[in-house]
Amino acid sequence: VKVFWSVLSAASALFVLAAPSFLDRGLLNDLWSLAFAVTLASAWNLLGGFAGQVSLGYSAFLGIGAYTTVLLSLKGIDPFLTLPLGAILAAIFSIAIGLPAFRLRGPYFTIATIGVGEAVRVCAASVSFTGGSSGIRMPAGSFDFNRNYFSMVILAIVTVALAAYVRRSAFGRALAAIKQDIDAAEAVGVNAASFKLAAHALSAAVVAIAGSLYAINFQYIAPGSVFDFQLSLSIVLMPIIGGVGTVVGPVLGALVVSTLQIKLLSISALRDSFLFIYGGLLILVMLYEPNGLVGVGRRLSDLSARLFRSSRSIVDA
Amino acid sequence: MGASSMQQFVSVVINSLLAAGLYATMAYGLAVIYGVMRIINLAHAGVMMLGAYVTFALFTRFSLDPFIGLVVVAPLFFLFGVVLYRLFGKRMAGSGTAPSIESLLLLFGVWLVLQNAAYVIWTGDTQSILTSYTMKSIEIAGVRVGLVSVFVFLASVASLLFLNILLTRTYLGKAIRAVTQNRDAARLSGVNADRISAIAFGLGTAFAGIAGAMFSTLMAFTPDFGRSFLLKAFCIIVLGGMESVTGVAAGALVLALLENGLAAYTSVPTSLQDAVSFALLFVALVALPRGLPGLLSHLERRSATR
Repeated sequence: VKVFWSVLSAASALFVLAAPSFLDRGLLNDLWSLAFAVTLASAWNLLGGFAGQVSLGYSAFLGIGAYTTVLLSLKGIDPFLTLPLGAILAAIFSIAIGLPAFRLRGPYFTIATIGVGEAVRVCAASVSFTGGSSGIRMPAGSFDFNRNYFSMVILAIVTVALAAYVRRSAFGRALAAIKQDIDAAEAVGVNAASFKLAAHALSAAVVAIAGSLYAINFQYIAPGSVFDFQLSLSIVLMPIIGGVGTVVGPVLGALVVSTLQIKLLSISALRDSFLFIYGGLLILVMLYEPNGLVGVGRRLSDLSARLFRSSRSIVDA
Repeated sequence: MGASSMQQFVSVVINSLLAAGLYATMAYGLAVIYGVMRIINLAHAGVMMLGAYVTFALFTRFSLDPFIGLVVVAPLFFLFGVVLYRLFGKRMAGSGTAPSIESLLLLFGVWLVLQNAAYVIWTGDTQSILTSYTMKSIEIAGVRVGLVSVFVFLASVASLLFLNILLTRTYLGKAIRAVTQNRDAARLSGVNADRISAIAFGLGTAFAGIAGAMFSTLMAFTPDFGRSFLLKAFCIIVLGGMESVTGVAAGALVLALLENGLAAYTSVPTSLQDAVSFALLFVALVALPRGLPGLLSHLERRSATR
């Protein structure tokens, strides 16, 4: 099974990297969106999945990255040079939020992050340097499609690889311990506070880079687009539908959700209400399979294994 | 203090009081559900929105006055809450002492479905309810206030009084409080905790519907309406300590005073006012985990040891 996953991921990585030579622009844009979704879902999963700290405030980090890039580009700096700065700013912000917020547990943490995300959005909409509700535009003539496409795809690949690495590292095991039982983890000497802060900062930095690339791709941002609550929401939804706490889950969830979104947005009647589908999916997942698609897959493989074994025992008898 | 600043102060206090009534109604729905089931009901915002639209539909279709409409809205939403509980309750109820993240996400899904059902039924257009008395105002202690906000205040006080009597004077109320304090002990003494949870969820949903109905008389709304009020409701129950009607009312008053005071005495733009309450939510969650009652008893203990 492990060989299967590594072959599959290597093949899909090769495919998306080679795609510009044989796919048209529209499909490449869809692939860009897929890579963007995979990045966000996997980055969120570092904290939300591995450590079990469900945050609904990730649009704040995306917005920080996007605004850093646009504002500095307007000063004449190459947009791609601004990526690290956006990431650092978002990481610092994540620590500033996390220091007090991680004292809260479970749902209280989640509520606090909704508060932070909304406060950031409201502030961003009412200060002048963000362009207010009308938003701001990237300087003209700075767009290079290939550079834009490859950087997004590479970011997605790196993020998934990072998630796979973290999961197997001592850091990942500490996060898993925190998720299972924070008191027990602390009792055996895991410094829960600093591990949570580190995971938060890491995922915030990745999301900020994705935000910078978002600004470069769309050339225009507004507080209503990059700080939007629905964005925070779909960031959470993808890993949950796919399967939280696994490496594959967020990728699967991102594929399903963004394919759905691309298909649904092309049907004009559903444009206002595609969140209906999200909500329905969320309810179904929570009611029947809290481990998401990964859980469904596990059940199917268990089932087939059992069928296989029982058929063999019949043969043996 | 000059006459005009005194006047301004009185105006801030009166407007805050009027707003606090509605805030408390909205927050109490959350608090009663949290208390009995230890879940954080994110669907509250969706139910408030639905309350506003049902009132709107009653007003436009049957030209039913929004305040008389409460008589329809309250039982309707109570039933709706019980149905929601029967559908999803198994996944939500009684997961020990701390609320689970699964129930939070489940109710979040319910909220999304409600919100988008509203988009389908009523479109995303902004709606509002204009009655014959919407523009009228009266004078209280020299301050002109809208007649509607007075009605809203009175209706809120009436529903909170009803709830308080229900909780303190009836067997049902005793059972609800017993389950709130200790679910297992209540069960052992013969309380049907499942049934009580269903009723509490219905009550909380009814209060959300009432709050939404009253909001619809005060301001324009869309299907996205409710999110900022949900956060305010959280802020209030965190401040108020989630346990008692008086605590919730105090939390509501603190938030309303802060909002009105900021608008009157500082140059913070109105667009930033919401950010203030969200920031207050954050600070309250982190700094006052047991709310104002917790702070008070802490201060008492400190002054006693000195």
